[in-house]
Amino acid sequence: MLYLFQVLNGLGLGMIYFLISAGLTIIFGLLNFVNFAHGAFFMLGGYLCWSLTELTGNFWISLLTGPPLVAFLAWAAEVTLIRRIYRLPHTFHILVTVGIALILQETTIMIWGPIGKSIPVPDGLQGVVKLWNFTYPTYRLFLIAFTSLIGFALWYLLERTRFGGLVRAGSESAEMVALLGTNIHRLFARTFALGVGLAGLAGTLSAPIRGIHPFMGPEVLGIAFVVVVIGGMGSFTGALLGGLLVGLVQSLMSTLWPEGASLMIYGTMAAVILLRPYGLFGRA
Amino acid sequence: MNRRTFLKTGLAAASLLTAPPLLRRALAADPVTFYGLKSMSGAYASYGEFAEKGSKLAVDDYGLLLGEKPRYVTIDTEGNPGRTVRKVQEAVQQQNARFFGGCTLSSTALAVGKEINKVGGVFMTPAGADEITASECNKATFRWTVPTYGAIQETVRPLFASNPKAKRWYSITPQYVFGEALLTAAKNLFAELGIEHVGNSYHSTQEQEYSGYLTNAAAANPDVLLILGFGGNGASCLRQAANFGMKSKMTILLAWTQGLDWFQSLGPDLLEGVYLGAQYWHQVDAPVNNALVKRTREVYGINPNYPLAGDYIITKIIFDAAAKAGTADGAAVIKAMEGMRYEGPTGPEMIRAQDHQVIKDYYLLRGKAKAAMKDRDDLATVVSSGKSFPEGDQILCKMS
Repeated sequence: MLYLFQVLNGLGLGMIYFLISAGLTIIFGLLNFVNFAHGAFFMLGGYLCWSLTELTGNFWISLLTGPPLVAFLAWAAEVTLIRRIYRLPHTFHILVTVGIALILQETTIMIWGPIGKSIPVPDGLQGVVKLWNFTYPTYRLFLIAFTSLIGFALWYLLERTRFGGLVRAGSESAEMVALLGTNIHRLFARTFALGVGLAGLAGTLSAPIRGIHPFMGPEVLGIAFVVVVIGGMGSFTGALLGGLLVGLVQSLMSTLWPEGASLMIYGTMAAVILLRPYGLFGRA
Repeated sequence: MNRRTFLKTGLAAASLLTAPPLLRRALAADPVTFYGLKSMSGAYASYGEFAEKGSKLAVDDYGLLLGEKPRYVTIDTEGNPGRTVRKVQEAVQQQNARFFGGCTLSSTALAVGKEINKVGGVFMTPAGADEITASECNKATFRWTVPTYGAIQETVRPLFASNPKAKRWYSITPQYVFGEALLTAAKNLFAELGIEHVGNSYHSTQEQEYSGYLTNAAAANPDVLLILGFGGNGASCLRQAANFGMKSKMTILLAWTQGLDWFQSLGPDLLEGVYLGAQYWHQVDAPVNNALVKRTREVYGINPNYPLAGDYIITKIIFDAAAKAGTADGAAVIKAMEGMRYEGPTGPEMIRAQDHQVIKDYYLLRGKAKAAMKDRDDLATVVSSGKSFPEGDQILCKMS
């Protein structure tokens, strides 16, 4: 029974990891851009959630307004800075986005202070659901359902809409899409904002579970990269399965070998790279 | 008197008149300078900010020390032992630095203590590792913090005494030296008190997700969940334990917490009913603490927390010892500190000469309900306090 419960727990955890890494993989896969500021935008989502919840007393308002604000900031960063370095080697992407991450982290400390904060689980989702001898937080069940919906909506957006088609075409040949009359800069700016907005959404949704502090960005970035590498760089389906795999491994190993639970996440990544160097769904 | 004699006499008289202050200044030692080793940047900057406030307050409020106002210099440890050691070496070589205090990380404190010992300086720290005043002790290093043995004795013992039926305990432990030391001390006490240790989950210090470990704990059906993680580890574990509804199913004890600033970050909803071990609590009624609370409110507009109080008293102890020794010589100051009794933020405190460990109170607190709070920092109430330290053969320090 314990292992069955750990499987359920792992699925819940995996959906959170999927949400964290979905934006990262969209940006890398479609824009071929390495965004090391992804964790910092995740943190910003959490802090905006805290401020908006404090201001309005309503978590749901912060969920509706916080992630679009993060996406807007990302759009502004893309228009003013990031679009100038798309054509440069990845080392420049890393340099600039690490700089953005540091600026966001220090700005957060200046505005909100260095001490972490807690955000209460929203009313109506505060209890637990009893399953046999175990209890599972209602909020985590909500997260599984909500993240599944977000995942479906993203798939629909990228696979079944004109916007998604243009983005996918742009990732294959930006010049060709531009020659066919599409404003490629606008398209890339919107895609970047979408990816980072997902980081903000993940930060908002994770805040009641994990709390927030100014140094949470790098922690999250590590897990997000592991999921993206396992799933395959740029693969949306890979991010989903990678997230679930990491969640299941971590949860099951918490019982089988607790001291190695975190280590085994990286062990899984190493095993996947050995067997499939481009990840589960990656392309050469 | 001719003109030449007049001028000579006048010059001599003027020299005599101006000589005393000049002589006094020339003969006096340089002002005592305290070098605060604070994590002003990096992952532990939240701690360093308050520690810096504590040391600065002690320096600013100190009168004359050996005829001069003491000075203060900040060294940013960046949470990095290697860089801190290099900065300490530079301060010693270029500025003849001798008096140091602070360090958030035990690894930094251990490395810095050895370096300062080589040059005959003095170093006092609030860092947590037991080794500082045990196997790795040295002549230069003093420690204000109660070690893991005392933290467990002063939390597990009174909690069990208040509820002897709670015999099944489960622990969640960060797997590094500090966590292991707490767990060993807990296991020893469990055996002595007849507590059944129904399980333990280790986790890495980088861990953010505790749901798996909490599921293990729930499966063991304990009466008490003992969380041995510190800082972010402890906060995440407690937050998620509350999410999983464990607060209502069992008693939760965090044996070692950071205190007020950490409590503020969690808030009363999470802390209510949770037992918390603490090195310092601002509501303790002790003369020095009352004065410290008053001054901290005046100067910074906040209540003092553990890093602020710890680094305040560390700075003050070194100054008091220099004043007592009547010199800024490191060896003499160390001698003055050994066995020193003083009023500290926790009440009467004493520096044990044998291992340079401060003998002071450790607190068991209990989180208050939001409705019971008198002000925004009234987050916990003191359940018990006391002094527990290894004695006799259990003192592992062989002073070098």
